Amino acid sequence: MKRKFEHPAPSERELTGPRYWRSLDELSATEGFKAQVAREFPEGASSIEGVDRRQFFKLMAASFALGGVGLAAGCRRPEEHILPYGKSVEMTIPGLPLYFASAMPLRKGAIPILAETHQGRPTKIEGNPTYKPYGGATNAIVQASVLELYDPNRATVSTIKGAAVTTAAVQDLLARIGTDAAASKGAGLAFLADQSSSPTRAALVAKLKKKFPEAVWAEYEPVQDEPPVAAAEAAFGKSVKPVYQFAKAKRILSVDADFFHSESGSLQFARDFAKGRRVTKPTDPMNRLYAVESTFTLVGSMADHRLRLASSHMLAFVAAMAARIVGGDYASLAAGLDVDAKWLDACAADLVASAGKGESLVVVGSHQPAAVHEIAYRINVALGAVGNTVDFVAIPENKAADIAVLAKAIEGGAVKTLVVLGGNPAYNFPGQFDFAALAKRVPEVVRYGYYVDETALVSSAHIVAAHYLESWGDARTADGTIVPVQPMIMPLFDGITELEVLAHILGEGPTDPHTLVYDTITALAGGDAQKSFNQFLHDGLFAGSAYEKVDVSPRAASALTAAAPVKLSKDNLEVRFTVDAKVDDGRFANNGWLQECPDPITKLAWDNAILVSPRLGKELGISPKGWAKQVTRVETADFVQGREQAYLCEVTVNGRTIKAPVHIQPGLANYTIVLPLGYGRTAAGHVGNGVGHNYYPLRTSDTPAFATGAKLTVTTERYALANVQEHWSMEGRDIVREANLDEYQKDPGFVASFGIETETPSIYSNLTAEEFAKLSPEKRAQITAARSTQTDRGGSLFKTPEFDGVHQWGMSIDLNTCIGCNACVIACQAENNIPIVGKQQVLAGREMHWIRLDRYYSDGKMAGGVWGGDANREIPEDPQVSLQPVACQHCEMAPCEVVCPVNATVHDEEGLNTMAYNRCIGTRYCANNCPYKVRRFNFFDWNKHAPDQVYLGPLGSQQQMPELVKMVKNPDVTIRMRGVMEKCTYCVQRIQQAKIQQKVKAGASSDVTVPDGTIKTACQQVCPVEAIVFGNIKDEQSAVSQAKAREQDYALLGYLNIRPRTTYLGKLRNPNPAMPDYADLPLSRQEYNSKNHHPASGNEGGKKEHGAASLSNAKLFGGLS
Amino acid sequence: MSKLFPKSVNLLPFKLLAYAAVMGGVVTAGITYYATPSYANVGYAPVQPVPFSHALHAGQLGLDCRYCHSNVEKSGFANVPTSQTCMNCHNQIKTDSPLLAPVRDSYASGDPVPWVKIHIAPDYVYFNHSVHIARGVSCVSCHGKINEMDVVHQDKSLTMSFCLDCHRAPEKFIRDPKLVTNLDWKNPEGEKAQVEQGKKFVHNWNVKPPQSCSGCHR
Repeated sequence: MKRKFEHPAPSERELTGPRYWRSLDELSATEGFKAQVAREFPEGASSIEGVDRRQFFKLMAASFALGGVGLAAGCRRPEEHILPYGKSVEMTIPGLPLYFASAMPLRKGAIPILAETHQGRPTKIEGNPTYKPYGGATNAIVQASVLELYDPNRATVSTIKGAAVTTAAVQDLLARIGTDAAASKGAGLAFLADQSSSPTRAALVAKLKKKFPEAVWAEYEPVQDEPPVAAAEAAFGKSVKPVYQFAKAKRILSVDADFFHSESGSLQFARDFAKGRRVTKPTDPMNRLYAVESTFTLVGSMADHRLRLASSHMLAFVAAMAARIVGGDYASLAAGLDVDAKWLDACAADLVASAGKGESLVVVGSHQPAAVHEIAYRINVALGAVGNTVDFVAIPENKAADIAVLAKAIEGGAVKTLVVLGGNPAYNFPGQFDFAALAKRVPEVVRYGYYVDETALVSSAHIVAAHYLESWGDARTADGTIVPVQPMIMPLFDGITELEVLAHILGEGPTDPHTLVYDTITALAGGDAQKSFNQFLHDGLFAGSAYEKVDVSPRAASALTAAAPVKLSKDNLEVRFTVDAKVDDGRFANNGWLQECPDPITKLAWDNAILVSPRLGKELGISPKGWAKQVTRVETADFVQGREQAYLCEVTVNGRTIKAPVHIQPGLANYTIVLPLGYGRTAAGHVGNGVGHNYYPLRTSDTPAFATGAKLTVTTERYALANVQEHWSMEGRDIVREANLDEYQKDPGFVASFGIETETPSIYSNLTAEEFAKLSPEKRAQITAARSTQTDRGGSLFKTPEFDGVHQWGMSIDLNTCIGCNACVIACQAENNIPIVGKQQVLAGREMHWIRLDRYYSDGKMAGGVWGGDANREIPEDPQVSLQPVACQHCEMAPCEVVCPVNATVHDEEGLNTMAYNRCIGTRYCANNCPYKVRRFNFFDWNKHAPDQVYLGPLGSQQQMPELVKMVKNPDVTIRMRGVMEKCTYCVQRIQQAKIQQKVKAGASSDVTVPDGTIKTACQQVCPVEAIVFGNIKDEQSAVSQAKAREQDYALLGYLNIRPRTTYLGKLRNPNPAMPDYADLPLSRQEYNSKNHHPASGNEGGKKEHGAASLSNAKLFGGLS
Repeated sequence: MSKLFPKSVNLLPFKLLAYAAVMGGVVTAGITYYATPSYANVGYAPVQPVPFSHALHAGQLGLDCRYCHSNVEKSGFANVPTSQTCMNCHNQIKTDSPLLAPVRDSYASGDPVPWVKIHIAPDYVYFNHSVHIARGVSCVSCHGKINEMDVVHQDKSLTMSFCLDCHRAPEKFIRDPKLVTNLDWKNPEGEKAQVEQGKKFVHNWNVKPPQSCSGCHR
């Protein structure tokens, strides 16, 4: 339990000046900086002319004196201090982290967390495993949220009319608003808040409404992550929302839904989906996913059958499905749908076939109109899904007014005081409302927010918000479970919580957020108040507080009418506004970790391009002119050294025009253009300003997610996009090994029929890979475990390291469940102090992520020849996606080690490929010799200088990162400097800590083996689908040994005989043979076969020429003649 | 030949020899200095804000190390005690000694006493006290006889080779964990017996001190 804190009044110094540099310019103006400049270059030292001898000697003497001081200081070790606490602090042991349960509130679905704190300083967020639906998993946004706590651009002091004020003055202001409003029963007072799930806030709002009946309480969220309640009311007559149970679903139809990312509760959905997807033995069932979508989402990338369809055609699509599944009069609604009827028939038949067992499910994206959801609900009822694969839970009614009501009230001059709680309406209001103009009509706009952002700039007062890691509060998860929000640290600045703002305006009852939350929770819990509250904080959740499940039965369908879907073309495009995978709706725009993380599908960092389909790209004449796009990067002229030179285009829709770069994205509906929201901020902060383009002005509140009638005109201007993976083709190689479920069931060891390994003598034992796959799992586990310590490396002449440690570490990554969500990338960044480098350096290929997610497209059309036929000259329109996380593979016979001239990278006795940073001299030979390209080089002092200052080095205005930024660093991991190589360490700090703890426990006994499951790497811990398993491969019973003993286990580039400790489990697809787009082999497999001269279909028979592709490549480039 | 070599060249070999001797001297002196304990700061004994005497507290009064360094068995850091720990006794004894003023002030205000750090490992070294204590490495092995020091000084070089000397031959130093804070303890049967007993401990407790980079560098 945390003790509650009192907000201290700020000191004089805090009011008059910031404690931390808010900008680099501010830093450059300090005396210290000026003095530094003066020391480096004494005035006049560079101009010897006109200097008399006396002056010259004075200068020289001064220089020598400075030099002497420098030399003396450099030779003596600086005096360091140990600063113990004055008074002992409860539970705190210097050097050991403490974990507290809390939650990150986000719209209506908070995510339960455990925050790791070092002497009161939160550094890392983990999921709270007590909350079973998420099982300790989190996502990239939660992982990155800790960085925002230490954002030097965050608002530091509240202001009224531009003048800094104390918290007391803020409280006076709020109280005054309350008393003024009380006189008029709230007339003239309006609130604009973002959505919240907090029960305490709901209680306060109810009190406010009672006290100020005339006041307007409006809520606005730019994006929807829950299905519209209107749909449930129409279908069932109840205010309910669906909670999907993907774990039970065997046949899933996703209608424009990105349930891995942009739906509330997506962590649970991803986790449950993976449960149905995971196949450990041939008899295991596997779910089948049909995805219909206009954009390309991660759900689409996991789909077994994917249909590209405009978002505006989804109503017709679900109607067509309803006509087949529910029956009745849906056919008229489906008129004008341009989809192969066989696709619909086969899909419907498959869903119906599983319906008897209640194993089918239809999911619709939250952004779709209520009618689509209503029809989908009726389909789910007909499929018997309700109560099986989908539960409906009663949700509290939300009586908040719409922003249109608020806008009307403001325009009518009825609003005298507007309180804006959170959100950023000046940036993300729909295009038809100009918030800045509205704000001008209100005499007093009080803004409560975390940043001085676009909205703060048009407000008369700005109240600093506390970060959620500094706040007392409560929230609900997507399923309604109440979770605490506990402070980990005193507010770094004068931030207050939203609850305090409301309580002060209310002017009655307690205003302290701890008391408010305590009252709410203990009233709900009953019994011993303090005990139940302590339990609540300890568990991080209020057990049994989830929304109640309700039985629903469909009402008689009222006749739905809808216009036939608009026929789309080059001149009548559909625009689709999507929630960005990283910065969400723009609220995380100033978070460097998220900005630098490549988008999971487009692989663009630091930008949001307009995505267009390959066909539209061709029609617009912006398709790259290269002639062998799938085969090689040569000639694809639109990429220069990894810099994608995008065309700037103008999009016109709803009468407004925006200019932005376009990126050709395979897999989009032909005439849908995708506009990811959340970028183009003008007042986000140093990181987020001017990154990407703002598409909010194109939206109206009638068409929040998609609109038709758009036009796109290409200009001649070009714009560089930082694309970290511009080459998408596997070129028929065996990097991601895939099979269909039926093939896997016949031949579980299908991965062994790939690649050069099948042709070469075995490098693992006297068994070939194929023979090895045929052994029993126990036997394989035994051999693998024994192999981990062997020094006899399959007859290699090379002297190999001795692996005589107590443990042998290894990792297994299941490609079958990996959804490519990027959570591991950010978790690794947070755990391992990985710096950001900025867009310019990403353009130069210098990104530092230790783990990357490779994304490959294949359309199966790659022809056998080197340059192949016409198919190789096209960008695939309808590709399959293969995802693969790649970090250092910890090769047992690591190629990086043999080329290091200074032994900076060597093996340890437990099989880790270690990096000794203080030995590294930065030759980069190791990176050059790494076949996986996972080593990262510190080209600059990323940890010392901001990305826009790196070229200036010590001459720049920044000598150190602000103190605040340094506070996020993990104290257990070395900060690397310029000129040093780094890479994945398997989280060696976690390994060592676990080993040390085990040894401390062992004391004078021999039990030093760390129990399996104790160590979780950062990427493993965060993974919502549990695709990553790490552990001791010497122990044949460990989870990782069991995973590696599965038949689908293969090593990436295994034929190199470098024996990577990370291995992959082959990917499976589960297509339906009755579907018109059925492929009897995964498309990447077809490409593999045709590239390697297999018969076009079938994996058996035919002459194997695995090396053929590389041989002919070599010939072409003149390597062989 | 005189056409090729002017007379002045005659001295060249001697000059070269002289240069070589001087250079050799400089190099030898450099290596000698940088390889000696003084370069590794052995003997470093800074003035502390409070003249705390370990010889008095740990030696004469016989306080156990872990009374003050209370987290040494749990944490990587052997914590310097909080002022509150000092005040446990000093609110009874020597309550108005002027030497203890910084401690009393610190206890009253909560601000730390700025003790000067003596044993410094570089930032990229992650030394962990708890594991050494638990596995029978005595305080004295790295810190010397603290219980006899009035002013604590650095007693051992604490260089990487110093660490490796023990990690490569732990039997020379390892003892029963119960005896780790007994700084005066020496194997009563002499060095040979220590090694023999140490070997037994190393075998029975499965002691394998890491000798690779990842043991200390992360």
